[in-house]
Amino acid sequence: MAQTVTINGKSYEINVDGAMPLLWFLRDKLELTGTKFGCGMAVCGACTVHLDGQATRSCVIPVSAVAGKKITTIEGLAENDDHPLQKAWLNNKVPQCGYCQAGQIMNAASFLAKNSSPTPEEIDTAMQGNICRCGTYQRIKIAISEAALELGKEV
Amino acid sequence: MSIENVSRRKFIKQSGLAVGGLWLGIALPNVVMAKLGLASEAAFNPNAYIHIATNGDTLIYCGRCEMGQGISTALPAAVADELEADWTRVSVKQGDGNEALYGPQATGGSASIRVMYIPMREAGAVAKAMLIAAAAKKWQVSAQDCYADSHFVINRNDNSKLSYGELASLAADMPVPENIKLKEKADFKYIGKDLARHNQGDIVNGKLTYGVDTKMPGLKYAAVVHCPVFEGKLKSLDKTAALAMDGVEAVVEIPRMEVPFGSIGGVGVVADNTWTAQQAIKKLVIEWDLGPNKTYDSKAYKLQLVKNVESPAQKAAERGDIEQAFANAKHKVSATYTGGHLSHSPMEPNASVVWVQDNSCEVWAATQSPADIQKVLAQYLDRDPKDILVHVTMAGGAFGRKFKCDYVQEAAALSKAVNAPVQLTWSREEDTRTGYYHSINAQHIEAAIDEDGNVSGWLHRAAFMPIASLFDDQVERAPAANLGDIFNHPFGIENIRTETGEAKRHTRIGWYRAVYAIFYGFAFGTFADEIANKVGKDTLTLLNNIYDNNNDPKQETQVRRSKGALALAAEKSKWFSRDKLPKNQGIGIAVHYSFESYVAMAVLVEVNGDDIKVLEVDCAVDCGQVLNVDSATAQMEGAVVMATALSLRTEIVFREGAVVNSNFHNYPVLRIDEMPTVRAHFIDNGDKPTGLGEPGLGPFPAALSNAVFAASGKRYRDLPFKPSTI
Ligand code: FES
Ligand code: FES
Repeated sequence: MAQTVTINGKSYEINVDGAMPLLWFLRDKLELTGTKFGCGMAVCGACTVHLDGQATRSCVIPVSAVAGKKITTIEGLAENDDHPLQKAWLNNKVPQCGYCQAGQIMNAASFLAKNSSPTPEEIDTAMQGNICRCGTYQRIKIAISEAALELGKEV
Repeated sequence: MSIENVSRRKFIKQSGLAVGGLWLGIALPNVVMAKLGLASEAAFNPNAYIHIATNGDTLIYCGRCEMGQGISTALPAAVADELEADWTRVSVKQGDGNEALYGPQATGGSASIRVMYIPMREAGAVAKAMLIAAAAKKWQVSAQDCYADSHFVINRNDNSKLSYGELASLAADMPVPENIKLKEKADFKYIGKDLARHNQGDIVNGKLTYGVDTKMPGLKYAAVVHCPVFEGKLKSLDKTAALAMDGVEAVVEIPRMEVPFGSIGGVGVVADNTWTAQQAIKKLVIEWDLGPNKTYDSKAYKLQLVKNVESPAQKAAERGDIEQAFANAKHKVSATYTGGHLSHSPMEPNASVVWVQDNSCEVWAATQSPADIQKVLAQYLDRDPKDILVHVTMAGGAFGRKFKCDYVQEAAALSKAVNAPVQLTWSREEDTRTGYYHSINAQHIEAAIDEDGNVSGWLHRAAFMPIASLFDDQVERAPAANLGDIFNHPFGIENIRTETGEAKRHTRIGWYRAVYAIFYGFAFGTFADEIANKVGKDTLTLLNNIYDNNNDPKQETQVRRSKGALALAAEKSKWFSRDKLPKNQGIGIAVHYSFESYVAMAVLVEVNGDDIKVLEVDCAVDCGQVLNVDSATAQMEGAVVMATALSLRTEIVFREGAVVNSNFHNYPVLRIDEMPTVRAHFIDNGDKPTGLGEPGLGPFPAALSNAVFAASGKRYRDLPFKPSTI
């Protein structure tokens, strides 16, 4: 029987060469294009998704390695697109061109899940692998702090 | 008037746009068009449209291309304000590439806002007047008895209301008013306010689609590898291994198309997904004939440029008598500055979908210039430009790179070969190595200082591989006109000579965000600091002196606004308390005028050994009326991020004709941990708005160099300060 992977709560058969990186399975096979291609070598963060809740660079992980696991992409981060980070992103008008932002948000979400009251230095360290060529870093920092407060209230 | 009622015109229907309601076409004033070199014969050429539908939905069709700089929000805000529209009912639709419908659509030179602002406001005001006229007719009252508010026309007599939707079709029968009075600044509701950009919601949920995201039935995916050296070509190709791969459909030679925006030449692979295509590329066995540029070495070339500017070069322009000025000088100051090649490296690599069929050609591309796509593909396919249909998608950054459509022409070549729609996505490596790079450059300046400490003479030599060489391989140095920004710099210097040094082309050069302002801003701003140091003045005082010495009445505005920006940057930063900074910190200041905007920056740094950390940047900006404070601020933040990287360390290096850099590990753009605090301060003087996409890059490198000097006594005269070691 073919292997499957669960993506945003739905199960998909892995019907491609298992060596294909998850990124291209998402983009070209499932046409889930919210996850972006930026570098293809795990140095820019544009392709970040969650693998069992953990931020992962989908451009370097073969789809065979995620068989039986749970993947969340930006499209599935929150049911009504109302994750505290998404709200904080809008509130601070973070995106410029927006291309890197799915990766930024996915990386930040997995980080905040582990550290709900980060210091600015901890944010820097956690977000270091995500490039934004438009230069939205200042707002990303503010938005993450803001979302952390919001998440703190929720629990 | 640049507005016309086109509600009943045939081309609206022919273009497949919704009919009914009120349609206004908006044209750029002809003088502006002429200035941009875009003048056209026809009497009326709309560039944008407003459609008020019968349900009140107001759609603005904007032919200019969005790249993240917020045009598609700033311009509609101008319309909505004059229209008294309900902002939430107004949306923007990116126009397809269609010059018949939109006229020239190129986006660059920070021109969009400058050119479109007044016409957009006028269009809003015209639409409002026509809606009011329609309501007045319906109520049988005079127009004076009616006013517009939030998508309704209201009858003053009895407060009855008619919605814009109800009025739209009737308004289409009203005459276009001749004299329109625009609102006063104090009455603005949307202009200059913090408005969310239109597409932000779709960005944070991953639904906004970019050039790389186009999907359609039957789509094939492709990758490409290029000849590593400009003007080289394919010698031999063994495609057996690639073709043997599962999912690979075709391996296609793409010869160089010898037009400036055509393919540099390479080999493409078409497959059933991008990854397979990329893997197949690696299996190609290729031999290149590297051609005439195979010895190009950018380090050696830069040293040669330095020689070329440190000895007499070709005169570009002269004013006064600089020999005399130097003969009478009390002090002489001289310095040489350099800068390396840069790659635009937007986060979205070059990508497009093209479908070439026997009787049609359709393109979906993130592009800054759909017209160039039409032109290049028309030439390539031997068709009429108007038969090339270009759909403009959102671009994931561009910075000048997506002006050139080599990547689209390659997709066309592949589509033609396999007879299907093909999506070609460049790898990051190809994107880095196959650019249209920022000019490698050197400048040498000598200044004569008289006994009163005034700058009396200025010799300025520049040598840089010019953009002109992309269009003409005979060009051996920057044309004199490219040095106009030196000669016309608003510094008040009586005796000046500019010279242009030899700089032959060895690669493709193209516009990079801010273009010449990067290196001219660096040279002027750093050299001013060096002069100040020599004559024992502080840089702010010296700069004010130099500006005050400008007696040219034509430059009165430039002088006043440059000084205004400087004063604001100094006031908002720690400039006046710089004596109290810790020993290893320093603050530097610079101002630069470019693209009709004035930006001064005060940069605070901390220097520990070789380590430079930018702490704070205060940007003082005079760009006339600010249309959207938030996106203007974002442009400054972005400029600082890009300028920090290019000042400190990013550089494209050529060795044996080819680019050595490949990806972000060896083209290390700025990351979040190096982000300084950026504050933008606007001099809102109500002047006509000027663009902000580029001018922020001009003053930063100099302000940074000056700050590092203040903190450590070490002077950096080369961009990047720390040359790439790859
Ligand atoms: S595309 Fe995966 S990290 Fe850059
Ligand atoms: S918003 Fe453009 S790359 Fe981050």
